Amino acid sequence: MNLTLAKVNSLPVPTWFRLGINDTQLSETIPEVHPYEGEYLSAERPENVEISFDPFPAPDLSTGMGDGARNFTEDNRTCGVTVRVPDGVKAGKPVFLTFHLDETNPSVLDVNTVIAGEGSEVTVVMSYESRSDFFGFHGGLTRLYAEKNAVIRLIQVQMLGDGCLHYDDVGAQCGENGEVSVIQAELGGKNAAAGLKAVLKGRKSRLNLDTIYFGDRGRSIDINYVAQHVGSASRSEIHASGALLDESRKTFRGTIDFLKGAKRAVGHESEYSLLFSPKVVNRSAPLILCAEEDVEGQHAASAGKIDSNRLFYLMSRGLSELEARKLLIEAQFRPVTDRIPDPALRSAVSDYVKVRLEAIEPVSE
Amino acid sequence: MHKRKTQVEDIDRTVYDIRDRVDPSYQVGQGLTAKIVNEISAAKNDPEWMRLFRLKSLQVYNRLQLPGWGPPLDGLNMDEIVTYIRPNTGMKAKWNEVPDDIKNTFERLGIPEAERKSLAGVGAQYDSEVVYHNVREEVSRQGVVYTDMESAIRDPEYGPMVRKHFMKLVPPEDHKFAALHGAVWSGGSFVYVPPGVNVEIPLQSYFRLNAPGAGQFEHTLILVSEGASLHFIEGCSAPKYNVANLHAGCVELFVGKNARLRYSTIENWSKNMYNLNTKRAVVEEGGTIEWVSGSFGSHVSYLYPMSILKGEGSRMEFTGITFAGKGQSLDTGAKVVHAAPHTYSSINTKSISKDGGRCTYRSAVNILPNAYGCKSSVSCESLMLDDRSRSDTIPVMDIRNDDVDVGHEAKIGRISDDAIFYLMSRGISEEDAKAMIVTGFAEPIAKELPVEYAVEMNNLIKLEMEGSIG
Repeated sequence: MNLTLAKVNSLPVPTWFRLGINDTQLSETIPEVHPYEGEYLSAERPENVEISFDPFPAPDLSTGMGDGARNFTEDNRTCGVTVRVPDGVKAGKPVFLTFHLDETNPSVLDVNTVIAGEGSEVTVVMSYESRSDFFGFHGGLTRLYAEKNAVIRLIQVQMLGDGCLHYDDVGAQCGENGEVSVIQAELGGKNAAAGLKAVLKGRKSRLNLDTIYFGDRGRSIDINYVAQHVGSASRSEIHASGALLDESRKTFRGTIDFLKGAKRAVGHESEYSLLFSPKVVNRSAPLILCAEEDVEGQHAASAGKIDSNRLFYLMSRGLSELEARKLLIEAQFRPVTDRIPDPALRSAVSDYVKVRLEAIEPVSE
Repeated sequence: MHKRKTQVEDIDRTVYDIRDRVDPSYQVGQGLTAKIVNEISAAKNDPEWMRLFRLKSLQVYNRLQLPGWGPPLDGLNMDEIVTYIRPNTGMKAKWNEVPDDIKNTFERLGIPEAERKSLAGVGAQYDSEVVYHNVREEVSRQGVVYTDMESAIRDPEYGPMVRKHFMKLVPPEDHKFAALHGAVWSGGSFVYVPPGVNVEIPLQSYFRLNAPGAGQFEHTLILVSEGASLHFIEGCSAPKYNVANLHAGCVELFVGKNARLRYSTIENWSKNMYNLNTKRAVVEEGGTIEWVSGSFGSHVSYLYPMSILKGEGSRMEFTGITFAGKGQSLDTGAKVVHAAPHTYSSINTKSISKDGGRCTYRSAVNILPNAYGCKSSVSCESLMLDDRSRSDTIPVMDIRNDDVDVGHEAKIGRISDDAIFYLMSRGISEEDAKAMIVTGFAEPIAKELPVEYAVEMNNLIKLEMEGSIG
């Protein structure tokens, strides 16, 4: 079937149209969609946490990728879970969801909801995998509701094959002193998109968002993050880093939006791109929108080559230039991947990046 | 304890807001039609190529849409704008020959005095026409040409030069208001600096729009040849009326190999003005363009000087400050295209918003595939003085090769408590510490402005501290 989603990952306020960064379009022929066959929820589950396969009748909660993507995912849902954590429950183990794209499940559209009751804590780990030569489609929609004093940790790792179209669309809402922490690793796929919008409604609510991306070959990555500060003393930390090789393309949009009344709110955003090929396309639009005086908003972005001093240091220790570069790419990802709670998944991510780095050797040299 | 808010005074506009009696010798009707464009062309005795260019621009204008981003332009109705008003005088080379009422206006603005003290030449435009133009003899002897655009177009030597460059850098197809400019432009300046010539003291053009409901569409074309250097200053103002006025000027700057051009402007239009100006520079190998920009007046501004670093080793520096008060939405910033290797750009801006004013910083840094070895550094800081105001930063970076070093930093917020504490720990009172910080915020930009604008600048950023911010 044909998938065409226009106005995806829109900037909250547009800028010059000719820059082509205001939004993107996803247009692809995707395999037929039918219900997911097989298990994707790990048998090992935390106690006192209610997990159901029924979709959550979501109230209106906007997401990073916009209405088009959200409606499409919901309308074509093939799988997904609703996780409810009762008040005061701190889930000892993560909820693991592993989605395999293969001939049985060539198109996966998962819709997931996490509701963390007052004072509760939960971690949800999602991974998307396929064979490296597989052609498939994944669209994910995840809604997070962190109520007063609740903490939700979401980890999403995408390691799909070179023929896949993929998107992760997230919407989050935090009550008073609630926290949403998200790690996204956008590592594979042919075209990958990710969007997240967090509404920091409550006083002292928090968003922590760390993302890593890895572009090689002709891969395209399109990201849109929005932290909307409503509550006073709310805090957002958005940090992205990645590497681009070969003819890959990346667009990063990150917005800190201070609404009137978000007094003493703090928003920090950074993006660091390592560039390894004269043919990469690296685009960034870090925005701060501010309607409240008593806030602190900062963003920083940098892009360029690996620092020559660091490279020289490693080469003086006996590494070849290529080995040194690979080590530095891995090192850039490490602070984020180290926070994946499952050792097997952490190791899989590490291996996945290594394989990709090995594969690019004959192309880059 | 109740905090007393800091008072940041509005600009004292008394001198700018004095209105002269409107007494044009000729003006076209309101609106924009082919008939009006032909009338303007005939009134200006355009060469045929220019008449055709105007008509083509009008077609482009009718085809293009209004921008779908930026501050609203709802209050601007082109059907109510008069695009050409000729003042009741011709161009003079001596101030005492300029009619008294117009001369008095420029006297109040300090233009003749500045010319005497610190300028190599002055052009003064009143509504749609330049009414005074003069350049020092020693500068003329260097071969520097500084004249109004109409004279340059008709000049046998420089006419072909104008035709070769006119709206080549900003084509009418660029956007709707560039097309409008192409159709109805009048007045402005032409500057040519021969190879190797260093113009040691600045040239200045000043644009005064007096008539209510009028537009001003001056065109500035500056050619700085290889190894030459120039500092050019533009200033502009208008009295306030309760109808919309429009400014859609166009500035095209050609900076030759190893040449240097500093272009300084204070845009201080009245608060009924829609300021939709387009400025662009192309810089050849080893050349430098420096922009110094102060944006204070106008109801709405769209202003983003653009630099195309075309030659290897060319450079751009942009220094800007924007101050938006009540009823103002000032959308300002800069654009740079690194189109050659080893090019360098630096953008440094500050903005202050108060009393419901809205400042938007908007920028684009483009590094093209062949532009290896480039560096770009962007820094923008915004200070908000109350929660009725708004401040947004919308930067974009588009990098298309890997041999670059691009950095961007932005900050929005109030005065840092840490900075106040630091100063207080050095024995400075809290109020003085805050005063120092707010004044110091604008100072790095203010010091880059030309000396002759210092008084105006001081008025604009006069900060009277009387309590705490926030």
